[in-house]
Amino acid sequence: MKLPKKWLCEYVDFNVTNAEFIEKMMWRGFECAGVEKELSGVEGVVVGRVLSVVKHENSEHLHICQVDIGSEVLTIVTGADNVFDGALVPVAVVGSKLGGREMAAVNMRGVTSYGMLCSGAELGLTNADYPGSEVHGILILQEEHPLGQSIDEALGFDDDIFEFELTPNRPDCISILGMCREAAAALGQSFREPSIKPVKGEGNTADYARVTIENYDLCPRYTARVIKDIVIEPSPAWMQRKLRAVGLRPINNIVDITNYVLVEYGHPMHAFDLACIHGSHIVVRTAHDGEIVTTLDKRERAVTPDMLLIADESRGVGIAGVMGGLNSEITEQTQAVLFESAVFKGSNIRATARKLKHVTDAASRFIKGVEPVSAELALERAVELVAELKAGTVVGEIIDVKKEKPVDREITISVDHINALLALDLSAKEMAQMLATISIHARPTLGGLHVTIPHFRTDIESGIEADWDIAEEIARIYGYYNIKPTLMRGDTFRGRIDDLFLLDDAVKDTLVALGLYEMYNYNFTSPSVFDSLLLPKDSELRKAVRILNPFGEDQSLMRTTLIPGMLDSLVRNANRKSGHLRFFEVGNTHVDTGAELPEERKKIGIVLGGAGVDFYLLKGMIEELFRVLGVKNAVFQKSEASYLQPGRAAEIVSASGASLGVFGELHPDVADGWKADGRVYIAELSFSAIAESRTAGKRFEPLPRFPAAERDLAVVVDADLESTVLKNVIETAPAGVIVSDVRLFDTYAGIGIPAGKKSLAFSFSLRAEDHTLTDEEIKRGMDAIIDALKENGAPLRA
Amino acid sequence: MGMMESLAQLREEAEGKLKDVQSSEELEQLLVDVLGRNGSLTSILRAMGKLASEERASVGAFANKVKSSLEAVVAEKRAALGEIAKQRRFAEEALDVTAPGQLADPLGRLHPMTQTYRLIRDALVGMGFSMFDGPEIELDDNNFTLLNLPKDHPARDMQDTFYINENVVLRTHTSPCEIRALTTLTPPFRLLMPGRVFRVDEVDASHSPVFHQIEGFVVDKGLTLGDLKGILDSFVHAVFGEDVKTRLRPSYFPFTEPSAELDVSCSICGGKGCRVCKGTGWIEILGCGVTNPHEIANCGYDPKVWTGLAFGLGVDRMANLKFGINDIRLEYENDARFLRQF
Repeated sequence: MKLPKKWLCEYVDFNVTNAEFIEKMMWRGFECAGVEKELSGVEGVVVGRVLSVVKHENSEHLHICQVDIGSEVLTIVTGADNVFDGALVPVAVVGSKLGGREMAAVNMRGVTSYGMLCSGAELGLTNADYPGSEVHGILILQEEHPLGQSIDEALGFDDDIFEFELTPNRPDCISILGMCREAAAALGQSFREPSIKPVKGEGNTADYARVTIENYDLCPRYTARVIKDIVIEPSPAWMQRKLRAVGLRPINNIVDITNYVLVEYGHPMHAFDLACIHGSHIVVRTAHDGEIVTTLDKRERAVTPDMLLIADESRGVGIAGVMGGLNSEITEQTQAVLFESAVFKGSNIRATARKLKHVTDAASRFIKGVEPVSAELALERAVELVAELKAGTVVGEIIDVKKEKPVDREITISVDHINALLALDLSAKEMAQMLATISIHARPTLGGLHVTIPHFRTDIESGIEADWDIAEEIARIYGYYNIKPTLMRGDTFRGRIDDLFLLDDAVKDTLVALGLYEMYNYNFTSPSVFDSLLLPKDSELRKAVRILNPFGEDQSLMRTTLIPGMLDSLVRNANRKSGHLRFFEVGNTHVDTGAELPEERKKIGIVLGGAGVDFYLLKGMIEELFRVLGVKNAVFQKSEASYLQPGRAAEIVSASGASLGVFGELHPDVADGWKADGRVYIAELSFSAIAESRTAGKRFEPLPRFPAAERDLAVVVDADLESTVLKNVIETAPAGVIVSDVRLFDTYAGIGIPAGKKSLAFSFSLRAEDHTLTDEEIKRGMDAIIDALKENGAPLRA
Repeated sequence: MGMMESLAQLREEAEGKLKDVQSSEELEQLLVDVLGRNGSLTSILRAMGKLASEERASVGAFANKVKSSLEAVVAEKRAALGEIAKQRRFAEEALDVTAPGQLADPLGRLHPMTQTYRLIRDALVGMGFSMFDGPEIELDDNNFTLLNLPKDHPARDMQDTFYINENVVLRTHTSPCEIRALTTLTPPFRLLMPGRVFRVDEVDASHSPVFHQIEGFVVDKGLTLGDLKGILDSFVHAVFGEDVKTRLRPSYFPFTEPSAELDVSCSICGGKGCRVCKGTGWIEILGCGVTNPHEIANCGYDPKVWTGLAFGLGVDRMANLKFGINDIRLEYENDARFLRQF
């Protein structure tokens, strides 16, 4: 919302600096996004006198001027023909801004021009603003001004325009008057609310037009007024200037009046050419099937029966609250107009505007909320302006069609409750005085406050919310900064980080300790990733949740797996040579199970690339993670995951049979698809399955008191044998002693080993709980282990 | 030559040799030669048995004196040689302390967002808040309607929403967790609810369609706006330090009333005004307020009895502020050179 300071000053005494005003408004809930100059995009342009004009030697149409700007005399080249010795002109010096663009010294055919002489158009002025603004050439100032004076000051276009960001609960403030009311309260000044002088028109309105509302639900009030003997001409300079200050383009007196009232009162109006209204009868009705209305922007719009139209007796002449029809547009030939000022239901206008993809300024006002009293005020104001501008002859009385007369709403609120909410101790009288500053009339009653809600405060409820609504007003006026911070009282609470959040911490901390960097990837993914991962057609990972309004097809699904995002980020790091290719992510994935809400699955992803990584490094990390988390007896078995290289893919299964996750080397075809160089290892684990597979709490196991004997041996087995089989054999052999720490430390195939075989070397410890083993015990134990291995087809390597 | 003379001569010779000794090996050899089992002193002492007893006593005393004085000289020499050897080692082994350290297994890094989330969480847990979780894909009812944002409420346009279907959305804030808490737990409670949220915002330096919030939600009897101010002040100081200034100013949200936004003094410029704070010296970090009575009533409680205080803060923005990160996109690019800094 743009609020020009001069406009504000018509209704409120402004006795502070801009910065102080902005701060006071901030404390009232009105955030100022910035202050603009009235001549927008113009900065540092000054008054100068042309001392001499000489024709440029190398150009037919350029002139070289010496221009005195007070502090110095500048050489400036111009293409305009209307400058002369002694002329007073606007000079855009080097470093000044015009149209937001900064001026620089420019060489023009061998002569350096230190700036530019400006036309009226370049300053954004019209003849109405300043005579001669629209001539072809430089703006020649008519009166004396000090050389070097800022041009906006010299011309009197030096207003400051505050740009306020409004919250959606205050549609009343999308208007100069609404803002002035709040500004007056913020400044501690009175608000000189303008009064409208009702215009008694000539003749009888009923002879000119009538209005019928067919749907009061969508249009609770429609007011209208007829103006005849219209003289279409430009509106006066003061009106044009104010419209431009708030960013509107002046068009003609009638259109400008409706726009002016829109800005002033916040109520959208429309003007119809009365001659184009068939039967001189406005009918507010919903659209017929297949009806088409051509709007003012010359677009044919198919309207549907859920949309409200302004029609005459034979056709639509506008889409209610959105845009008028081309068939009843104001033109140079217009002789009589019908001003419309109505109330349309916001939610219906919202639906219509969205459906038509055409949210006009008017529509957005109706969506934010307008009310019936302002509708009438705006219309009367427009009529007053018509009379003032002598734009036409006002006819008869107002046409006012409504189901019920708008009445002020009355509420009674609890003073104690408001004090309790705000931690204040104000009396009913004090509250009433505070509310009066923002035009809310209130009087103390027994234990409460009787409040009359002014018509423009549609945000204040008369229902359950009333106390809170008034509390908010009191807090705003009292000043949030005056409310003292306190500590909550009442029951004491034990703050707690729940188990699953602690698990999240433990997972991340462990993976960080293992050297991994944490990633945050987006949840959006492309439907093409499933083929890129070579997923079978019936894979559950293809059951992704689809977004109705995504940024694009490639971001249209919610991820079902962390892998694609992690691969994207890995490859990005490789391409940027960031120096690190080991990452993890903990994040949610979603699978559409057909239920109303999809299943949310939290996953832990690990991706390893670059030098020194292999399958067993990844497996080692997972095992270490499991040890830290207390996941015991997990079984690693072959996996056939499509995106992993066959033979280098494993699934982890918990002791109770739940799948804890899948990991392995990325399939070369998948790696190619991502343009990933080198080998990539990837794991995706289920957070919930891990959570459920943890052994409850950690228990201390006593350390061995007697030393162990460390032994190793190598056996020869079939090349495809899985080493875990032999690990189990060693652990369970009838050795008569404790066998622990069994570890495969070498795998070998080649010279000395028959084809189709491999050698596996294991180390392990032998010990007893209660004594140091004797040589004899160790030998018996080793013999038992060797025998057991042999029985299982794993003879000692010769 | 008498024994006394032999001893004196031996001492003289030994002391002479000791003076010339250059290495500890030479010293140890000399020791063996003189004081060892077959050393010269030992052999002289062995001959003492042949002496008469009165002479033996005086020779013995002298021999002991010679032995101990030699031992003292040896000890001194040993210390001196040891010192020389140490100095040589120091000289030879001097390192370039400016050369880089080497780690076999360097640590990884927690994402700055996780670090910031934990700071905020720990501050709130210290005030008695517990954790509560809700889903990223939510019912429209929980995300909007029950929060006093019915369909067609103009404020729905404040948050551009990704829809799954008419009734299901990607949650636009963590506030639907408030509804889940009110409908599954029994007040009083103090909850903190972290999570990912989604809005239709094109990506730029300060916008991301995916970002993170932490919702704080307290429901109890007799809570006040002052209490909300107290909570926010405490946790902002815990995260940003005691020097940071806060400013609670009026705002609007459909699910709170009165509503407010909390600004903190800009940590980049110290409040003088810069590009990050758009010259204001303040940066908005959260929206908050007294829970709207409709929300409390929608969940089956009497708003005149139960008061709620709620705040929803942007973790991304707080991380950026805490670490001086000037572009939110960096948070989701996962560039190791970025992550390594935290």
